[in-house]
Amino acid sequence: MDWQALRQRALKDTKRAVATSVDDDNLITQAISAMEDVDRAANTLTRRLREWYELYSPEFSKAVDDNEAFVRRVLEKPREEQLRELGLHETMGADLERADVQESERLAKAIKALREERDQLESYLDRVMLRRCPNVLVLAGPTIGARLLREAGSLKRLAMVQASTIQLYGAEKALFRHLKTGAKPPKHGHLINHPLLAKAGKEDKGKVARALADKISIAAKVDYFKGEPIGETLKQQLEARFG
Amino acid sequence: MRQARFDNIYELKTKRGVRLFTKSLYRSFRGFEEAIIKKDGVAYREVDPERSKLFAAVAKGASQIGIREGSSVLYLGASHGYTPSYVSDVIGEEGKVICVDFAPRVVRDLVFLCEKRENMLPLLKDCRHPETYQDYLPEKVDVVFQDVAQRDQVAIFLKNVRAYLKRGGYGLLALKARSVDVTMKPEAIFKDVFKELERQPDVTVVDKRELAPYEKDHILFVVKRR
Repeated sequence: MDWQALRQRALKDTKRAVATSVDDDNLITQAISAMEDVDRAANTLTRRLREWYELYSPEFSKAVDDNEAFVRRVLEKPREEQLRELGLHETMGADLERADVQESERLAKAIKALREERDQLESYLDRVMLRRCPNVLVLAGPTIGARLLREAGSLKRLAMVQASTIQLYGAEKALFRHLKTGAKPPKHGHLINHPLLAKAGKEDKGKVARALADKISIAAKVDYFKGEPIGETLKQQLEARFG
Repeated sequence: MRQARFDNIYELKTKRGVRLFTKSLYRSFRGFEEAIIKKDGVAYREVDPERSKLFAAVAKGASQIGIREGSSVLYLGASHGYTPSYVSDVIGEEGKVICVDFAPRVVRDLVFLCEKRENMLPLLKDCRHPETYQDYLPEKVDVVFQDVAQRDQVAIFLKNVRAYLKRGGYGLLALKARSVDVTMKPEAIFKDVFKELERQPDVTVVDKRELAPYEKDHILFVVKRR
């Protein structure tokens, strides 16, 4: 076979192979990363919005700590009402033209839309994970589960790696620092955000992370090899032990 | 612009050091935001040794790279195709470069590149299993180049050399010490691998080049198949 014919065949086969390589794991990976990006963007923009809006209503910004509530209430309430709620008659804020205030409010609207997008992505993740790895989903939840799957690269790999690897996904920096310099080993990576770990005392976090990683590892194997649902049982075992 | 020690590779001395170029096979090709210098109707594409282990070795004075005008090259770990595109320049119209990578994401870029360059052929295959691409390699090749950053990359290299490299052909192994073992000293790994290559009955090590400062903890071994 001459070179050009061989090359054309390889191009065709390779394009086909690239196309068929796309699966739910790719979708989950993109969705979780998009969600993280949207989160980051929303936070950056909210910080900007605060700086901007504080020219106009600093006391209000100071009084509302929560970013999401801040954005929502900028859009809901005019400044007079914000001040009245705080029991204030005076403000450090400048008397800006309505048109100038409106510009910052438009940014607030965009941030609100981003937050809605984030929630949509989360419910999408929930749906894809439910069909791809229902047992991991039950144990880890959509965000942590998706992050673990992304670090592994695929559900197949997540089912193959040791539970101790799952325990430390998201803590690579600390792990390699430990291996290279002998610094203290990390106890948990992405799992740190799991409700069971949040509840555990400082002394117990390592123990809980280890047990949780074990169960997630079992769940991943069941999901990959399409076994009987086991997520709820595993979850109950964990809750009985640590809950 | 001065011809370097290898076919179609050129050097340009500047105040800040030596810049490396290949004579461009396609005058209007520019795929990686690289600088292009046109002179006397010839286009020269600049190659950044910090992005290419092969050209890092050239910049560090490698005595041989085995890749010449007309060579056929099996390139393992082709990724987006940055270095393969320069290999394609070096080997010219009569040469061939068969590019293998197992990551769909990067092969997507590689396919676009190979469509533009007639001496390149892309494959989405795992080079741990050389038999899976035998259909695309009806003849043995002059050069096997490998840059895969895997723990077992030496074994993968030898497997491919034995399957596809001609006698008298060159094998190039870009070794990343950190993926063989993060806890070991890179120098110790280089030494171990050197000994391992020397032990093989069918290859001779003809050059080794540490790639610092272009690439940390990397070395390029050049072997010749007996």
